[in-house]
Amino acid sequence: MFINCLFIGICLYVSLMYVIRCNACISTGVSEFFNMSWIREGELNLIEKLSANILKAGPMPKHVAFIMDGNRRYARKRHVERQEGHTQGFDKLAETLRWCLNLSIHEVTVYAFSIENFKRSKDEVDGLMELAKQKFIRLLQEQENLEKHGVCIRVLGDLTLLPLDLQQHIARAVVATRTHNKCFLNVCFAYTSRHEIANAVREMAWGVEQGLIKSSDVSEALLGHCLYSSNSPNPDLLIRTSGEVRLSDFLLWQTSHSCLVFQSVLWPEYSFWNLCDAILQYQLNHRPLQKARDQHREGQALQQHEADRACVADLLQHHGNGKPLDAQRRQEALLNYTASREERVQDFLGALQHKRDSFLTDLTSQAALA
Amino acid sequence: MVHVYEFMWRVLHVLLHIHRTLITLFRIRLRNWNGQLWSRAIAALLVPIALSFPKQKKLVPAPGKRVGRRYRWGADGKSLEKLPDHIGLLIAEEEPRYTDIANLVVWCMAVGISYISVYDNHGVFRRNNSRLMEEILKQQQELLGLEGSKQHSVEFLSNGTDKQDHQVLSCQSVVKVLSPDDGKLRIVQAAQELCRAVEQMEKTAKDINVTVLDSLLRESKTTPDPDLVLKFGPVESTLGFLPWHIRLTEFISLPSHVDVSYEDLFSALQHYASCEQRLGK
Repeated sequence: MFINCLFIGICLYVSLMYVIRCNACISTGVSEFFNMSWIREGELNLIEKLSANILKAGPMPKHVAFIMDGNRRYARKRHVERQEGHTQGFDKLAETLRWCLNLSIHEVTVYAFSIENFKRSKDEVDGLMELAKQKFIRLLQEQENLEKHGVCIRVLGDLTLLPLDLQQHIARAVVATRTHNKCFLNVCFAYTSRHEIANAVREMAWGVEQGLIKSSDVSEALLGHCLYSSNSPNPDLLIRTSGEVRLSDFLLWQTSHSCLVFQSVLWPEYSFWNLCDAILQYQLNHRPLQKARDQHREGQALQQHEADRACVADLLQHHGNGKPLDAQRRQEALLNYTASREERVQDFLGALQHKRDSFLTDLTSQAALA
Repeated sequence: MVHVYEFMWRVLHVLLHIHRTLITLFRIRLRNWNGQLWSRAIAALLVPIALSFPKQKKLVPAPGKRVGRRYRWGADGKSLEKLPDHIGLLIAEEEPRYTDIANLVVWCMAVGISYISVYDNHGVFRRNNSRLMEEILKQQQELLGLEGSKQHSVEFLSNGTDKQDHQVLSCQSVVKVLSPDDGKLRIVQAAQELCRAVEQMEKTAKDINVTVLDSLLRESKTTPDPDLVLKFGPVESTLGFLPWHIRLTEFISLPSHVDVSYEDLFSALQHYASCEQRLGK
């Protein structure tokens, strides 16, 4: 009886692996007409729907990050122009977003352009800037569609490094989709993680300069809130295509406890089954990662508590009259201090958000005047 | 209908776990049974199954004694196209085995890697720093012998000695034990330092950039960022390993550090040597 079950189980398993592997190996090929749109309409076919429903029975990532690597190698492989590789890469992005929506993954972050990519030839960089400009212009034309699907687009990175007209298009797109809240697409453009972290530290230093926060308020949580990605939760799953096994300065802070999946398929050839494979990996790693994340959070809370205690002890020493306070008074002082620190931090974060929003609205009004 | 999907999901995951267990079992069996024919047969059987998870390194049986091959290690290192300057050993498993870690460290030294970091996300190695150091010295004697130990000296870095510039002599390796506190917490401390400087009007916010932060986070001017991290264990994550320093680090996963062999390490180094870094270009 047991042997029979095992046998059936193994057959089932082998056939499922075969289906997944087979489908993953078949390249998606060049589509006859490519929809240049950001949103690919379309539903999954029957097998895809079945697999999606099976996967959804388990824990699903809420936020997936992609390093879309392999456009140029794809172009070489297909003997087409590099620019064509990038264009197909963009189409694949639109398709992948559709798959994510079908799988109820509502937040996606992609690495579109790194600050290091400025080192490429002028032609290629100009080509990429032009492609980006066209895509953002197209995005504004599709506003109704985006509203229908509730897509909020955010662009993370140092926008001041980009040509001004591209900055303005980006600003208009971000402001236009700001209020949408059904799904979120974060595009990292002119981005590296180190710049992001250094920028966050700079913003906190700005807060100190403005008298909004004290240097003792600096904590891991506050730094996280000052990153470009502050409005998103950390990614649950990071996928890198084309077989490279490094992070290339992408979301280094945010992915410290994320599931990392490195896949050898080139980005323009990415398929629904590759995505399912990655999600399966996530599900296998879900429990240990959850545990590690919870442990880290507990450690963080403890550190904050200790830091608050130290600050209170310091304050009491400087402002007290030499008499030691009893435990209750000390506890009260600690609670008061924590409350006032949290208030300071909230005010600071509000000011920071306002600064960022103003930057974008200034760009849009510049664009309107132009 | 929902229950059917749930049931199928459970079946799928049970099968995946069985698959993982079988792989581990066969791996241990292969180690113990040195029969070439048998190991080849099993390998042939496992290859299609192993292909399902291409990220796991190929499981190579360890023929022969370790000690007898020590003279090859240096030559192996020189035969590679490139060797990492700084290797990180990330133990993503519950129970660390000190002897196996020590073996890995000694092999890395013998192959010619100058900086070796050992990390686990519970901070166990940091807490048992001295035990690990003793184990490494012991294994160094055992694996490299007396002569070899004199040739390959090892220096242990602990938190106090960080800021000195280390002149790494040839055949000298520096071993550092890391914990999660060296990751995000260190970045936060650097941020606090900079903010204090701003508070005291020694700096302005505009002075803060990647270079300034990097110089604060660098161990010393000469310690390079990790080029390669070998991750041991089933969890696919960096688990808080030095977030700032790993921007260009290659990650190679190995199933486990328990009973790891020199061949496992060397095949990972060969894989690293074939990686091409375009650095954004």
